[in-house]
Amino acid sequence: MDSRAPSVPERGPRPGRRGPGHRFARNPRALAGAALLVMFFGIALAAPRLAPYPADAPHLLATLHPPDRAYLLGTDNLGRDILSRILAASRVTLAIGILSMLVSLVAGILVGAVAGYAGGQIDAALMRLTDVVLAVPVFFLTVAFLALFGPSIPGLIGIIGLTAWPPTARLVRAEVLALRHRDFVSAATAVGASGGRIVVRHLLPNVVAVIAISATLRVGLAILTEAGLSFLGLGVQPPAPSWGNIIADGRAYLGIAWWVSCFPGLCIFLAVMAFNLVGDGLRDAFDPRLVV
Amino acid sequence: MAGALGAGGVAAYALRRLVALVPLVFGVTAITFALLVLAPGDPVTFLIPPEQRGAADLAAMRHELGLDRPLPLQYVSMMRDLVTGRLRSFGDRRPTLARVGEALPVTLILTAASMALTVTLAIPIALVAALRPYSVLDHGATLFSLLGISLPSFWFGLGLIYVFTAQLAWLPASGIRPTGAAGYNPSLIAPYLIMPTIVQALSILPVMVRYARSSLLDQLAQEYVRVARSKGLLERTILFKHIARNALLPVVTITALLVPFLLSGSVVVETTFALPGLGQLAVNAALARDYPIVLTTTAIAGVLVVAGNLAADIGYFYLDPRIRDG
Repeated sequence: MDSRAPSVPERGPRPGRRGPGHRFARNPRALAGAALLVMFFGIALAAPRLAPYPADAPHLLATLHPPDRAYLLGTDNLGRDILSRILAASRVTLAIGILSMLVSLVAGILVGAVAGYAGGQIDAALMRLTDVVLAVPVFFLTVAFLALFGPSIPGLIGIIGLTAWPPTARLVRAEVLALRHRDFVSAATAVGASGGRIVVRHLLPNVVAVIAISATLRVGLAILTEAGLSFLGLGVQPPAPSWGNIIADGRAYLGIAWWVSCFPGLCIFLAVMAFNLVGDGLRDAFDPRLVV
Repeated sequence: MAGALGAGGVAAYALRRLVALVPLVFGVTAITFALLVLAPGDPVTFLIPPEQRGAADLAAMRHELGLDRPLPLQYVSMMRDLVTGRLRSFGDRRPTLARVGEALPVTLILTAASMALTVTLAIPIALVAALRPYSVLDHGATLFSLLGISLPSFWFGLGLIYVFTAQLAWLPASGIRPTGAAGYNPSLIAPYLIMPTIVQALSILPVMVRYARSSLLDQLAQEYVRVARSKGLLERTILFKHIARNALLPVVTITALLVPFLLSGSVVVETTFALPGLGQLAVNAALARDYPIVLTTTAIAGVLVVAGNLAADIGYFYLDPRIRDG
């Protein structure tokens, strides 16, 4: 498979007798990422119980209040508690991140599997489409979409998902191409399995690792995209909180109330890093040579 | 052989590549057009300013804009209206292309500066990481990459503004030049570009370092390097005379691939630093429902990506003798 003889050892733990799960569990960075993820999901699930105040309750006597015992992360210009808003926003952000990842995954698997399995002109056409979508400056397209269709959460999930599928499609196609002429596929064809059945039952289970790694990294990217759009005013619309739009709220008060923009940004950073750490950990555990 | 082909050779080659990129230009503009067609509502409302939409002349306007014709022809007439300046901003009524033309230099300067800074930083980092793989320095570079790709650019930008503008008052936080000034005099605009360039560069630096590092590792493992070492050549000679050119090819590719990424980033970064470039124009137009501007910026951003690809192809021409002489 790899004709280059690497005189330099490949990155990551040596593939031994133990499985990928064991390698993942022995990778401290992957574990740190997993712990952060568990924490973020826990926070999102328990958000209504953890929040000290309702997310949109204005405390008019405590506007731009610095962090203290009453308001752990301070308040914004309307006197809304930043901690409560961050907690409420964690649900929106994680939901958009995961759902848009699922959209891009389904689109990517569909395009990649069909292109890889069908080959020929269908493959050429689908890969040309993939090239075009990869070359589009996605953010401009997303901005145009949100301007024409109006910003909404389903719209955000759709456009983030539908602009993010090309890398997944390429990976799945490459894996399917590599597997297509293996004996077990010929055997399935010989006993009369249909093309769809071969792809779903025989090929896709073999590319689960690649899909899982790609999916994890996609969630991080989707969270960054959503945060950027919400920061620009084109994503989650106020008064609904999102980490991105809380940062935008604090922008005008940066010099006098750093806490408004600081803490939600820290959350984005840590959440994205958690998904990246877990994604990298999965890659190292399954196959360090994968380029995802 | 190589000398015989000179400028004529590269021109012919560039033309060939340009023809090959035509489908890409068509693709990105067609996607923009498809958005317009699929959006809920009458496309005419996206192209005609609200107060000109009297019911009587709506049909006439639809006809004038070619919107009563089949879709492929609609696409052609939209592109024609865009290029000829008939497509005008809802805001100030000027041709969209003129507005984009004013914004374009800012984005181009920012993109070029970020790319230059990225390459300047990425190559030494990758070299250190590749020459001592799995050392503390290499792991440091990996960790740094991880931080870089996880950092939201606008948040990092606001952090820089907090420190260097709000606290230290060293750098301006918004605009491209002092009020009253005009043009792009480097000494005037440089202070305004420092923070945005750093933010943009950091967003692509990790990708560039990873590519350059793995490309260098690939070359270091090649047979010809072992031969050169066994001849007793200086490590420095091997690195700069033998490896550099081969290792640079993938770096050129990734530079072209990163152009769309930088352009996408410019939307957020230009808004963070209030830079009057293409990205800020697109966002403000989107917020103001100035659809002709939104459509034009999207199409032009697509064309810029194609230009980036072309530049990379020309870079390849000079770096790879197999293309140059073949």
